[in-house]
Amino acid sequence: MSSFTQPKHSYFQSVRLRKKWMNVLISLLLIAGSILILTPVWWMISTSLKSMQEITRFPPTIIPEEFHFENYINTWKSAPFTLYTLNTLFITTFAVIGSVLSNSLIAYGFAKIRFRGKKVLFAVVLSTMMIPGFVTLIPQYVLFSKLGWLNTALPLIVPPFFGSAFYIFLLRQFFMGIPHEMIEAAKIDGASHFTIWRRIAVPLAKPAIATVAIFAFNSAWNDFQGPLLYLNDEVLYTLQIGLQIFKGEAATQWNYLMAGSLLVLLPVIILFFIFQRYFIEGANITAGIKG
Amino acid sequence: MKTMEAIMTHVKSKPKKKLLSMRRKEELQGYLFLSPWLIGFVCLTAGPMLFSLYGSFTNYDVTSKMDFIGLDNYIRMFTNDDLFWISLWNTIYYVLFSVPLTTVGAIVLALLLNQGVPGMRLYRTIFYLPAVLSGVGVYLLWMQLLAPSTGLVNHFLGLFGIEGPAWLTDPAWTKNALIFMKMWSVGGSMLLYLASLQGVPKSLYEAAEIDGANAIQRFFHITLPMITPVIFFDIVTSLIYGFQIFQEAYVMSDNGDGGPVNSLLFYNLHMWNKAFEVFDMGYAMALSWVLFVVVLILTLINLKLAPRWVHYEGGDES
Amino acid sequence: MKKALSSLVAIVLVFMIFLTGCGNLIGASTESEQRKDGRVQIDFWSFWGSETRRPVIEKIVDDFNKSQDKIFVKYTFIPFGDIWTKELAAVAAGNPPDVVISDLGKLKHRAQKNQVENLGPYVKNDPSIKDRFLPQAWEAVLYNNEPYALPFNLDTYMLFYNKDLFKEAGLDPDKPPKTWDEALEYSHKLDKKNGNKYERIGFYPLWDAGPDIWMVNADGEPYFDKNDKSMIADPENAEALKWIKKFNEKYGLNTIDAFKGEFGQKQSEPFISQKVAMYVKNTTFYTQIRDYGKGMNFGVAPLPERKPGSGHYSWSSGFVAEIPKGSKHVKEAYEFIKYLTDVEAQTYWGAKLFDNVANKHANDKILAQLSGEAKMVYQAAVDNLKLSVMQNMPIKAPDYDKFINPELDQALRGSKPPEKALQDAQAAVLKQMAGQ
Repeated sequence: MSSFTQPKHSYFQSVRLRKKWMNVLISLLLIAGSILILTPVWWMISTSLKSMQEITRFPPTIIPEEFHFENYINTWKSAPFTLYTLNTLFITTFAVIGSVLSNSLIAYGFAKIRFRGKKVLFAVVLSTMMIPGFVTLIPQYVLFSKLGWLNTALPLIVPPFFGSAFYIFLLRQFFMGIPHEMIEAAKIDGASHFTIWRRIAVPLAKPAIATVAIFAFNSAWNDFQGPLLYLNDEVLYTLQIGLQIFKGEAATQWNYLMAGSLLVLLPVIILFFIFQRYFIEGANITAGIKG
Repeated sequence: MKTMEAIMTHVKSKPKKKLLSMRRKEELQGYLFLSPWLIGFVCLTAGPMLFSLYGSFTNYDVTSKMDFIGLDNYIRMFTNDDLFWISLWNTIYYVLFSVPLTTVGAIVLALLLNQGVPGMRLYRTIFYLPAVLSGVGVYLLWMQLLAPSTGLVNHFLGLFGIEGPAWLTDPAWTKNALIFMKMWSVGGSMLLYLASLQGVPKSLYEAAEIDGANAIQRFFHITLPMITPVIFFDIVTSLIYGFQIFQEAYVMSDNGDGGPVNSLLFYNLHMWNKAFEVFDMGYAMALSWVLFVVVLILTLINLKLAPRWVHYEGGDES
Repeated sequence: MKKALSSLVAIVLVFMIFLTGCGNLIGASTESEQRKDGRVQIDFWSFWGSETRRPVIEKIVDDFNKSQDKIFVKYTFIPFGDIWTKELAAVAAGNPPDVVISDLGKLKHRAQKNQVENLGPYVKNDPSIKDRFLPQAWEAVLYNNEPYALPFNLDTYMLFYNKDLFKEAGLDPDKPPKTWDEALEYSHKLDKKNGNKYERIGFYPLWDAGPDIWMVNADGEPYFDKNDKSMIADPENAEALKWIKKFNEKYGLNTIDAFKGEFGQKQSEPFISQKVAMYVKNTTFYTQIRDYGKGMNFGVAPLPERKPGSGHYSWSSGFVAEIPKGSKHVKEAYEFIKYLTDVEAQTYWGAKLFDNVANKHANDKILAQLSGEAKMVYQAAVDNLKLSVMQNMPIKAPDYDKFINPELDQALRGSKPPEKALQDAQAAVLKQMAGQ
């Protein structure tokens, strides 16, 4: 008996040991990668703390000689950034809500409901991504102008409620992974597609929906062209427009520009750090149901 | 497929009237689910798109004229515009390298970030960071990093005894510099793969492990097939957006003109110059519809090939 | 419990954002053209939003608003570059602003495309107005002999040189190079090498300046004459390229690319960090030396000339105040841009920001207000403006530089003889002009 279990025991031990070494290797790789990723970010931080005198110097210093933490306060005071933050938050909130709601509905329709013309319609959805925005910019602007939406946030917060090809396609790919039998079973139980969408599809695709929310947040938060075109009043401006004031005509104020960019970035990073758990939670649910 | 047939024969045996109403109900629900997109498309998107299609057959210059000139713009493009060919070639080069490289890079990264190593939340945040760091500031930052003798990239290469090139000033290297830069920011697509990896049931791995499959076998037989829907998505979208690369080149070349020696003159940059520098909007619209056709064909090929390799857990497209 | 609490917080937060947003972003007042006080409101857009420029333009706008009671100017900052995309969209939609600060070089093109108002009828009642401007600035706003904007500011390129490095190299710090040959000769003396690596570049004609400046400098002629006839392939232009090529050969393309790469992102400043001893820059560069140069000892001179007596020509460009087509208040807008280009406003602008203005009387007044180094540079710039030539954009090939620049790149990188490159460039432009 013991002669039988002995090798097996050492086999598992070696597996565990291998796993441990594997983890060390992965950790090393990730640390190396992190350094690679973070160097540009370090440049931003370092530049944001320098004086302009130091920035013009060559070769550039890697660590600031003097730390000018007041740059951050000066940056914030250079323009009504608090107001810009509220404006950006307002637009972003609607963009995220709109994107998550509409795209998950539309994508479910494409993935799980049978109807005529689906393939053609889906190709049309994809085709809206293929026309460069430049050539529709003018007619789009004229359209919003005719609707009387200029100088309001409507051109920025209404379109997300109509879905966008990228997110529709993305969520469709995830919904396609939900077994047909599961949906047929729910239908036999008398559930409408809306109920199935709400009760089965959305919870199962939680990681994907979290991804869409994160993407939608980012693109609205960082959007520059949209607010720039459609908002005429400076009290309506967003953070990305506000940052442009540091790009001077004679010389750019690099320290303020970098400080401002970092401040604008901060909420996005914090949000990502917190919302990550949806990936892990999502995993448990999916695995639980499927396993 | 078999279940489909089963359902069909099952349905056929039912009275015709009920079948029709059931199907109609299903269809109706389908259009209902699609209605946000349908409304948005009809009211907001289709108009400007059709306008630009019509505009491509005119000498539209936004402010003074819009006369129908037939195929003139298209003929000019193919016979009398050297920059059209140059910019098309530059763009194809970029897409050819950046799409596969970023796809593989994102998958590898997602796999690494899906391990049970301590500090994973932090790593994920760090690797996602470049995807958030967007806009003009970042491109300028990269210009600093790619500086030939003080830039960190060449410093790093120097550690291995490699003398790095003048990335952004030597025409032979400019496009590679951009591809390199794109690699840095694969964090966005990494997130998609990460989300998709969460859907792979753990039980499958356990079963495979018991069957004695090693890590590589497990990757190719379980992980890879399970994430094909997202790979497909990633390839199709990065192809579409890859062809539209613009801002990087606009910011990183002198005066945004696509230099040195037109090496960064991408298709959309050429289009931008035509549209907003010289207001030759009709021509720019023609350019955009040619690009549209090229990308559409590639996408349709992708869609056609998809059933051969994309695996949907829920069964094939109905 | 925890979940309920967090969702409550979320709801409250969304509600608050909604309230703040609603007030501004949705219910935003659609511009009331008639203000309560009965004044006509003029929308004025420019890209001056930086800490230094914004207060100056706001003060000028404020002064104007106080100076009369018929017109009220509302100033809006819109980022550089994008401002003109937005202007174009607004003109297309028929609700443009009333005054925009825009690029002078392509004004003719915008006039031809019907994007800006013809100011001819207003200037007719006001014939003396053209006398306030530098002649070349006024010339540049004319299209078919009608003015389409009023010129606002100008810049001009000069040679900045480091006097300390001159002394170190045994050169007379009061004798900057006069000719191309001299510049080349000086550069040898000013170079500093460590092994075969350059630590300091004595002189390189390009970087901030383009080769086009030197082709103007060669004979005082831009690419196109008044009748849009091409002079691209003139022999003097080829000479300019050959001269620049001498520097490329001397330093080697690697060094040139490396330096350009180092300073291309415009953070480190090569002249201020003493990595370049002589540098071609425009007038406002002085403010950078003043602010970041820590009292560096420098001089300013006109660009060296091709050969003795050929002329120290330079290149100039600028910005104009224009009224987009479709403005509802052209008359009032004209009143405002008239004020903007009058002596008082121009003097305030130029003196505060160290910028050459289009109003010649203002330039004199600014000089009287300055002293020391600043006066020296400004005087040099005013003198230099007299020798400055503007690029003339041919109406049939507004994107002429897209055809010329790649050829110049090739000529300077040595893959094409300069004469051939210029001929090819000219052929490409002519083909474009014929095709239109």
